[in-house]
Amino acid sequence: MDRFLDAVFLGLSSGAIYALVALSLVVVFRASGHLNFAAGEMGTLSAFIAWAFYDAGVPLVIAALLGMAFGALLGGATEVAIVRPLEKKSPLAVFVALIALFLGINALTTGIWGAPPAEEIGNLFPNDPEDFWRIGGGVWRDRDIGALVVTLVITGLLFFLFQRTRFGLAMRGVASNAESARLVGVPTSRVLIGSWAIAGAIGAIAAILVAGNQGQVTPIIMVTIFVYGSAAATLGGLDSPGGAVIGGLLIGIIENLAAEFSKDWVGQEMKLGVALLVIFVVLLVKPSGLFGTAKVERV
Amino acid sequence: MTTVDDDAYVSELGPQAVAAEPAAAATLLHVANLRAGYGPVVVLHNVSLSVGEGEVVVVLGANGAGKTTTMRAISGTIPREGEIDMAGRSILKASPDAIVRAGIAQVPQGRGTFPELNVEDNLRIGAYTQRGGGIDDDIKRWFDTFPRLAERKTQKAGSLSGGEQQMLAIARALMSRPRLLLCDEPSQGLAPRITKELFAIIGELSRDQGIAVLLVEQNANLAMHIADRVYLLETGHIVASGDAETIAADDSIRKAYLGY
Amino acid sequence: MLKLNEGSPGHWVIRIIWVAAVVAALVYIPTKTNTSTIGDIATATQLAIAAMSLNLLLGYSGVISIGHSAFFGIGGYTTAILVSEYGWTQGWTIYVAAALAFVVGCIVSLPALRLKGVYLALVTLALAVLFPTLVRWGKLAWLTNGAQGISGIGYEQTPTWYNDHFARWQFINESISLPELRGREGRAIFLYWVGILILAVCYLVCRGIVKSRVGRSLIAIRDNETAAAVMGISRAKTKALVFGTSAAMCAVGGCLYAIQSTLAEPNLRFFTLLGSITFLLIMVLGGAATLWGPIVGAFAYVILDTRTRQAGESGEGVIGWLFGWMTGSPATLVLAIVLLIIVFVAPFGIVGLLKRIAAKFIVIIPRPAGTAPLPVSALEEPAVAGSPI
Repeated sequence: MDRFLDAVFLGLSSGAIYALVALSLVVVFRASGHLNFAAGEMGTLSAFIAWAFYDAGVPLVIAALLGMAFGALLGGATEVAIVRPLEKKSPLAVFVALIALFLGINALTTGIWGAPPAEEIGNLFPNDPEDFWRIGGGVWRDRDIGALVVTLVITGLLFFLFQRTRFGLAMRGVASNAESARLVGVPTSRVLIGSWAIAGAIGAIAAILVAGNQGQVTPIIMVTIFVYGSAAATLGGLDSPGGAVIGGLLIGIIENLAAEFSKDWVGQEMKLGVALLVIFVVLLVKPSGLFGTAKVERV
Repeated sequence: MTTVDDDAYVSELGPQAVAAEPAAAATLLHVANLRAGYGPVVVLHNVSLSVGEGEVVVVLGANGAGKTTTMRAISGTIPREGEIDMAGRSILKASPDAIVRAGIAQVPQGRGTFPELNVEDNLRIGAYTQRGGGIDDDIKRWFDTFPRLAERKTQKAGSLSGGEQQMLAIARALMSRPRLLLCDEPSQGLAPRITKELFAIIGELSRDQGIAVLLVEQNANLAMHIADRVYLLETGHIVASGDAETIAADDSIRKAYLGY
Repeated sequence: MLKLNEGSPGHWVIRIIWVAAVVAALVYIPTKTNTSTIGDIATATQLAIAAMSLNLLLGYSGVISIGHSAFFGIGGYTTAILVSEYGWTQGWTIYVAAALAFVVGCIVSLPALRLKGVYLALVTLALAVLFPTLVRWGKLAWLTNGAQGISGIGYEQTPTWYNDHFARWQFINESISLPELRGREGRAIFLYWVGILILAVCYLVCRGIVKSRVGRSLIAIRDNETAAAVMGISRAKTKALVFGTSAAMCAVGGCLYAIQSTLAEPNLRFFTLLGSITFLLIMVLGGAATLWGPIVGAFAYVILDTRTRQAGESGEGVIGWLFGWMTGSPATLVLAIVLLIIVFVAPFGIVGLLKRIAAKFIVIIPRPAGTAPLPVSALEEPAVAGSPI
């Protein structure tokens, strides 16, 4: 039972980070209809910026917020400078550009920060071996609870944004029917930039959490996480923010349970395989995922 | 857009059909020499029309005549040339949201509801350009006018019937407190009984709220009943105009457009 | 402006000039350049084959794939396993790899049929990530040797059948003959020619598909699925065929790559997602939906890669000044930047750009349809006007 709880707790926490990446992908997808391949790398770059502030003496929390601000800027800039002009040419052009961005940012961060010494960064939450809670026999580390809390807070904020604010209504309108949105006077341009900026900020905090867990920021921290995030978004439904969170948590839990209880077949090394399997199964059986809308398939 | 000798176009109906503009109430919308199209294709060659305050003006035309293009040109969603004035001020260069703020609201072809949003949110987003308060009051007001919508207020718009969606689209347009309502083929895809009801509602709204209506339609019969004035649009040109009784009385027009 | 009718003497002159230039270049490389350059060009042919397979799929089926590194890897690992475990000669493994990849490709195409755009891309993404993960899997270590990979699968010496049978063939007189190939240089030259040969075969296969009934139905499907279905062109069969061929072709490239690298391991760039992305970028760089695009793109990439790496290390020139201070090679960053520029400025790729420039000077007026059959030419107009980009 202990092992079970341990796996579940761990799953909720890694799942929380997958959920954040998935949220980032979903927000962009709802607004622009594109999959942001560079989401992970944009997060990594933002994490490095946060590290730069932290290294210069800024308190970690402030540095993290600054990193998120940078992420927002990066996201908005990508929308304006790359996605919007290329959208007029063709969807393939946007796809290629985002992939080039993925590669480029990865190469950039490697080039700038790739050499030792490592860029050490602290964790936003208490991270010593004795900082944990015992719940029902299982162990849940403070930092892992923290990651889940962050995700839930951000999810809550997004919910509030979407359901209770004018801008959130505009975002939902654009996602639902962009042409009508323009007709009623919604500033679609601002909605697009805003969506990408929010996605960028979310990606940034995800990367900062990951870096905190590893104790350092490296250029490759988000590469696998991006795949997990994609799996979560696919499972939940590419246009469902709630689905993204649930998808992320589910994948986290499933992969950890599989790794713990099927050490032979899965084990730690094949956890990613679980996520990949999820992608294949979902796309085979119900591409719109658990909570997505079917219309999205006919893109 | 390529140049074509627009003024040389002559309709089968003969040159006499275009009557002088009547001196109606104050002109709200004034459109002259409108050219518009999609990329290299020019759809509207030379459209001139006007709508007075509180008037119901109907534009009739067959498929491909350019009715929706006219709507889009006025609401600013496609590039256009010519003159478009609203309450005396030019809106030719205005963006769609500025046009909404100038008092024009469009009920698009095919309803254009936000299918994933519920009925109330559809209304609320219609009031996006209204920065002052009173939005909740407006919502209540339109729910009173359209009780069927009030019943379904938490339902997703996509699950409503065609007629209900049309009502929703009209109510949404009204949320922006327009002085002029643009209706694009409201009868499309609706059963005749519902269409009659719809046109009656539009007519009532115009009379009670003093809102001018510019309505484009293929279905001439029902539209004529609520019209004050009528224009006939044929492949991008206005070929006839006049008040509703005159147009309905004209034999050649009746045969061509009303089918009897 | 020079106007020539298709099939006219003038047109033939141009074609002959083209062919002569290409042949001259092909012969120049192994005879006049150093061994490492020959090796780089050989790699270029392998990448060109991979990009060409991607191009086939994308250009004529509209299918975006970032999963082809898996097929490249299937090719490489098939060769590696057969050579190291079962003692096959390298050459024969290519057929097995192609067949295996063809089958896998057909299977993958089944779900792919029903998906579009983003979802299809996600499946291919998962495929690309799945391959190295599977290779590393403990359960398959008996086959793949896990993370360590399989080594020692290259040619130890240039295949004796070449030296025994072909070397010293004489053309006209003794001074013009096929040379013996010995040693490291010999191996490099051998792999170079094998690469060129197989690339030529792939080119012809692609061209054949483009011009055939299958090819035209591909374009029909790509442009209008409903119409194609109505006309009875079997979507499923055609899509499966294209996917399978594309996979097989890519795998062949992978075989050659493994032979040249003399090993196969899961970390090899071209067996991972990064490799898939590189293939895509190569295709776009050269010009998607043109037959020569992938070839030009691959060569351009290899040149870009070697030059920027040198400049990065030595710090010379613009690239050196811009990127020399960075850790490692700036090649990937330069590639990404070049690609972003291409997408904005020249979305038709290098070949597309060249064609546009050439079109200002020479126009080939095509023979009206239904007249005499089209002669084969070295440089062909793409069967489809424009590219997906």
